[in-house]
Amino acid sequence: MSKLEKAYYALQRMEMRAAACDDIVDPRANIIVSLLDLCMMLSVPMGRVSTLIWFALYPIVSSAWLGVRFGRVFLNSLYVLPVVVLIGIFNPILDHTAAFKVGGLTVSVGWLTFTSVIIRGLLAMQCILILISSCGFIGICRGLRQMHVPAFLTDQLQFVYRYISVLLLEALSMRRAREARGFGRKSFPLKLWGVMIGQLFLRAIDRSERINRAMMARGFDGTLPRFAADAEKSLLTSPSTIFYILLLGGGSVALRFMDTAALFNWVG
Amino acid sequence: MHMADALISTPVALAAGAAATTLLGIAGYKVNKQKGENSRIVPLMGVLGAFIFAAQMINFTIPGTGSSGHIIGGVLLAAFLGPWAAFLTLSSVLIIQCLVFADGGLLALGCNILNMGAMSTLVAYPLIFRPLTSHKAPGALRLMIASVLACLVGIELGACCVTLETELSGITALPTSTFLAVMTGIHLAIGLGEGLATGAILCFVLRTRPDLLATDRIRSTSSGRRSMKNVLIGFGIATIALGGGLAFFASEYPDGLEWSIQKLTGSTELAATHADSITTSLESVQKATSVMPDYDSSFSGILGALMVIILVWSITSLLTAGRRRRLSSEG
Repeated sequence: MSKLEKAYYALQRMEMRAAACDDIVDPRANIIVSLLDLCMMLSVPMGRVSTLIWFALYPIVSSAWLGVRFGRVFLNSLYVLPVVVLIGIFNPILDHTAAFKVGGLTVSVGWLTFTSVIIRGLLAMQCILILISSCGFIGICRGLRQMHVPAFLTDQLQFVYRYISVLLLEALSMRRAREARGFGRKSFPLKLWGVMIGQLFLRAIDRSERINRAMMARGFDGTLPRFAADAEKSLLTSPSTIFYILLLGGGSVALRFMDTAALFNWVG
Repeated sequence: MHMADALISTPVALAAGAAATTLLGIAGYKVNKQKGENSRIVPLMGVLGAFIFAAQMINFTIPGTGSSGHIIGGVLLAAFLGPWAAFLTLSSVLIIQCLVFADGGLLALGCNILNMGAMSTLVAYPLIFRPLTSHKAPGALRLMIASVLACLVGIELGACCVTLETELSGITALPTSTFLAVMTGIHLAIGLGEGLATGAILCFVLRTRPDLLATDRIRSTSSGRRSMKNVLIGFGIATIALGGGLAFFASEYPDGLEWSIQKLTGSTELAATHADSITTSLESVQKATSVMPDYDSSFSGILGALMVIILVWSITSLLTAGRRRRLSSEG
């Protein structure tokens, strides 16, 4: 499957999953709690793995709460590993200062910070995946609009998002046509690629002209209308949303500032 | 070049987020003025954003290397939309990539918008591309040279920003000069590929629809009289909240008081002179709720946390298993 097909099917799957998730928590609460958790988690100093590891509770609890499968989230989050390993791998090589001993084994600060980078990467990715899996992109845009994020940004996001599928299909059909007539050649030399992408660009321009005319004919004044269902679908004051904010949001703040390691000193 | 959340600290992320928010506010103001003159820019920006997204999925072969690359699209978008509308469009593409494809971190979004969006559309395009192509009707060669130079500068500046942000965050132990050399070296090749690809598309459009390259036609010449006061005030508040209000949570440096104490005593904490029972009790309460020392001194905390995580995961798995069974039987 080509990258184009993967991207197209990923988009379709994501919206289907978001639609399948129960409307349990208001998107605004979900966005705010996710950002709060990220802020708290990423502000933990690099060497404090024992504090950082507690933040692994967030994806477990929030995915269970929002009806998202944690196993899938965890597997998808592993895609970030190559990037974070590449950046963090120099820490154990360059920093040999001793941090603590486990039995007879001395663990260096370099290994501790390397572990910290890996955990941060995985947890941050899981946080985003849970947010998008539970709300869907359109749900996030709706939440942002309800939070009074200016319409020019939310409108733009929705326009791009809605036309990505359309243009991915256009690009896919062009790619298939090229492969069918390419006598086994699948790569794109720069000159041919320029012509192909140029054609795709001209198709995009023509499509935007048609869309503009259709929108103008329907009374478009430069701003998309607010979601009609916003008022009736507001879940911000529902008990589930309030408990979610208190437990997950409050929990993230508490984990950041509490001396969690002191609770388990008896283990060592 | 998409930065993950793991590569930055919260203060750097919030500062970059504040800067990106301010730039987005200005871009929104400029684009709203354009919309007043020409409403077709709205769907055009949307469809071109989707075009960049789709075009990034088709790789071209880099001659002589055996590898392939794809466009990022900052200079290309700016050539058709103008710098501010291109910045807004590219930012929305980056936001969608972050949220939908988990490409780059949510908190690192500000950094990514600055590194990839602002450097190419707001720096490289107006300072390199536009001066090189504005003297007369640009030919294919001039367009190609301008594209390559602008993309090279834009991507190299982005790579420098990535290095700076990672180093300021204290994530890597790699020396700054080494990290910078590696990053700029890799991105030199990427920038060259991006420039050639951008030039190839622009040359094709120059041959087929040269009118589209005259970006001034969609730029407003009138002074759109829409009030953007509320938007600017909103962005101002967001900037202050992000840059100043929240950053104190994350600061690892001594605050004003600690700084003063450090100057006076050489330490950020005052030594207790009278250890009575109340002080001892308060200290034990504070110890239970305070931030831990900078590095772990034992393995016990990590082990204990792992035990709790496994326990919570087991409980939530048991709780959600019933719901999954119910959903699958309904489906």
